[in-house]
Amino acid sequence: MSQYQFILRRLLQGILVIWGVVTLVFLLRYMTPGNPVDFVAPLDAGQETRDQVAADLGLDQPVYVQYFDYLFGLIQGDMGYSFIRSQPASSIIFARLPATIELALAATIVAIIFSIPLGVISATRRHEPADYAATSFSLVGISTPNFWLGIMLILLVSVGLGILPTSRRPIGFVPAMEMFIFQLEIQGIRTWIAHMILPAVTLGTYFTAMIVRLTRSGMLDELGKSYVLATRAKGVPETLVRYKHVLRNTMIPIITVLGLQLGTLIGGAVITEFVFNWPGLGTLIINAIDVRDWPIIQGSLIVIGVGFVIINIAVDALYAKLNPKVSYE
Amino acid sequence: MLGEDKQGIGRRSFLAFAGGTAATAMLAGCLGDDDPDLNGEDDDADDGEPDRDDDSTLWISQSQDPTTLDPHDHRETTTDNVILQAYEFHLARDPDGELMEGLATEWEIVDDDRHQLVIREDVPFHEGDDLTPADCAFSINRVVDPDEGNLGSPQADQLAGIEGAEVDEDNDQAIIIHSGETNPTVFANLASYCPVMQEEWTMDREPEEVAEEMNGTGPYMLEEYVADEYTEFRAFPDYWDGEADIESLTIDAASESSTRINSLQAGEIDIATAVPPDDAPGIDGDDGLRIDDAPSTRILMLPMRYDVEPFSSQEFRQALNYAIDFETIVDEVLNDFGDATAQPTLEGYFGHNPDLEPYPYDPEEAERLIEESGYADEEITLEVPAGRYLQSDEIAQACVGYLDDLENLSCEIEMRDFGEMTDVLLDGDIETTPDFFLIGWGNTTFDAQQNLFPWFTEGTSQWTFIDEELEDLIFAAASEIDEDEREQLLMDACELAHDLAVFVFLNREYLIYGVNERVEWEPRQDEYQLAYEMSLR
Repeated sequence: MSQYQFILRRLLQGILVIWGVVTLVFLLRYMTPGNPVDFVAPLDAGQETRDQVAADLGLDQPVYVQYFDYLFGLIQGDMGYSFIRSQPASSIIFARLPATIELALAATIVAIIFSIPLGVISATRRHEPADYAATSFSLVGISTPNFWLGIMLILLVSVGLGILPTSRRPIGFVPAMEMFIFQLEIQGIRTWIAHMILPAVTLGTYFTAMIVRLTRSGMLDELGKSYVLATRAKGVPETLVRYKHVLRNTMIPIITVLGLQLGTLIGGAVITEFVFNWPGLGTLIINAIDVRDWPIIQGSLIVIGVGFVIINIAVDALYAKLNPKVSYE
Repeated sequence: MLGEDKQGIGRRSFLAFAGGTAATAMLAGCLGDDDPDLNGEDDDADDGEPDRDDDSTLWISQSQDPTTLDPHDHRETTTDNVILQAYEFHLARDPDGELMEGLATEWEIVDDDRHQLVIREDVPFHEGDDLTPADCAFSINRVVDPDEGNLGSPQADQLAGIEGAEVDEDNDQAIIIHSGETNPTVFANLASYCPVMQEEWTMDREPEEVAEEMNGTGPYMLEEYVADEYTEFRAFPDYWDGEADIESLTIDAASESSTRINSLQAGEIDIATAVPPDDAPGIDGDDGLRIDDAPSTRILMLPMRYDVEPFSSQEFRQALNYAIDFETIVDEVLNDFGDATAQPTLEGYFGHNPDLEPYPYDPEEAERLIEESGYADEEITLEVPAGRYLQSDEIAQACVGYLDDLENLSCEIEMRDFGEMTDVLLDGDIETTPDFFLIGWGNTTFDAQQNLFPWFTEGTSQWTFIDEELEDLIFAAASEIDEDEREQLLMDACELAHDLAVFVFLNREYLIYGVNERVEWEPRQDEYQLAYEMSLR
């Protein structure tokens, strides 16, 4: 099977998964106690308003008609209308998406920057203080709930030391870059970074700790293999042995995990966003659940599901590309 | 050799790592020094962050973002708190809730069906046009009439009893509000609900535009609205009552209270709303910060259905009132941020009966009354909307503890989703209403009518307790024009409700704010933080 056929097949599988997600999310509304009209209409709206809402949104139609209407709407980018916010759900969700993607990517970058060097140090200095420090860090990082870490970082770094803001995202990455490129003004980027550091560290810590462990165990595994001995016997400098050969082979499972975790981060940034008042999908979902803004809840879950599927497909393709031993079959 | 290499790689890796960390920390340090939102320095660059000039700007952080900027298309106090910086009601209230002149300068009941408001002249909207009586009538009609103003307003029942409004044929600076029959609460409602919009401006825009733009007559005009992030205002120089002291105002939201408090303590905001009582001492002890509080318009209570056993027994209901030591709950659970209540309405409200005292804590009397009621050894369940009100879960648990401690009564707690509970409470069918539950009831009209009518007259959306004599008193008050007579009727109704022990009335909820000392402000009872009433030291 060629690479393109493989990707095509994975795309088709992805579409099936997305269809499943959409169906499940749609049915969730009906599996939840209460009348679906009440989820969409304002909580204390009168019967007249509720009837109007039901008619406007087609909720007075049979479920299967609603289902196909919803599917058809989704294909056209229509995720329904948020009665509570008086706006189409899709415009609200897509306005929030960049913040979540930025945070997930930043957390991933934090994880990559810190975890791989730590993992390499830990593996190459096995049973030395640096190894103990790195493994202790990874144990603490994996065990620390990120909501607690976030609050502690805010108290220490923002409230205590006053060097970083406590919360919010006053500017997005794209506008900050535009400001820099078109106005040669760096203030936007500085503000963006200042507000990004603590949430990214909070979200990325667990991830960092996990990659440290993966890198360490992967490196140790590879270092014991015969090709390493052969490479060293050829006189290849140890630096090249470790970074060109060993680390490269170690990276294959790490990239897989990185990709999959990025998907998880997009869906799992909820708590971090909440603590840092980060205006992404996580806070949107929580606030939507609070006021039962069902179109927003549904749409957000679908977007997260789609994101997860796309990342998975990309990772699969990349994985096969990186490791020729992995067949497209 | 290997050792040396290992050492070399390790050192380089370590240095690279340490260098990266140091650079990040320094970068963070630099950012911290220059970031305008941290130290109040202004910067010409528009970095998306509202400017924070300490001398003239104010930042309020509340628990929820506005869901819309359309003043007639929501039911949240947090949305009102943003909207009412720019829009105004027909009539105004002082911080204690007393009715006063606003956009209307005179108000008069002409006859049973007709109520007249004389509208102030020379009041400009933010976009320049002058307010007209037609705009005022349009605003009322937009709320009460689903065919008016491109909106089926969810606020229609807030103006229940008002059928519509029109410009007065005999006075072109006045409007006539029609109520169909006698309605003494028309003016109270128009001082609490239905902000005034410009008809032409509203009708020229799509609903989505009305939800994102503002054109009111209020002291602040919209500068920038970033949905779900912040709303920024600047003072309206032509405000009819004089320009606001504070030039610029930003309101944002953080649903997590610790986020708001941290921002306050870091000096990023000036007012944090909805501070939990447990966090208040920490803020009060912080240099440059203080706690402000005010009794709110919400009462917490434990309603009981009059038509189901054992709550149909007056003795049993009285026993529940005697069984709960509410002074201790206010002291221990609410850190004294609460007032015990004895009746369906609140102190300072029209119709409040000042002679009524809460039932004293007397568990022995409670046990005796339960025996007398014939419902000894009953098992009851208190249904509670989870996390809905200030410390309400803890209050409910304490109440259940007191009730369960009685020797001849067992009581359990059942936590429920608020929305799910609201669905069954507001459906107008008493059969779906829980037998015994906790609920908070807010009434910003400062009139006891809105506390009594919905709960104690048959056929409303949440009627729960019916007593013929009580119902007669409420109906009599609803159609009484004479203020003294009406007040006496409402006070009598409150006394009867107390004697019948219709519900267990718990506490008046308090509004607790963390405030930067530089802000001079007296918190309002109606939960609005109006920047026009504030100034900066």
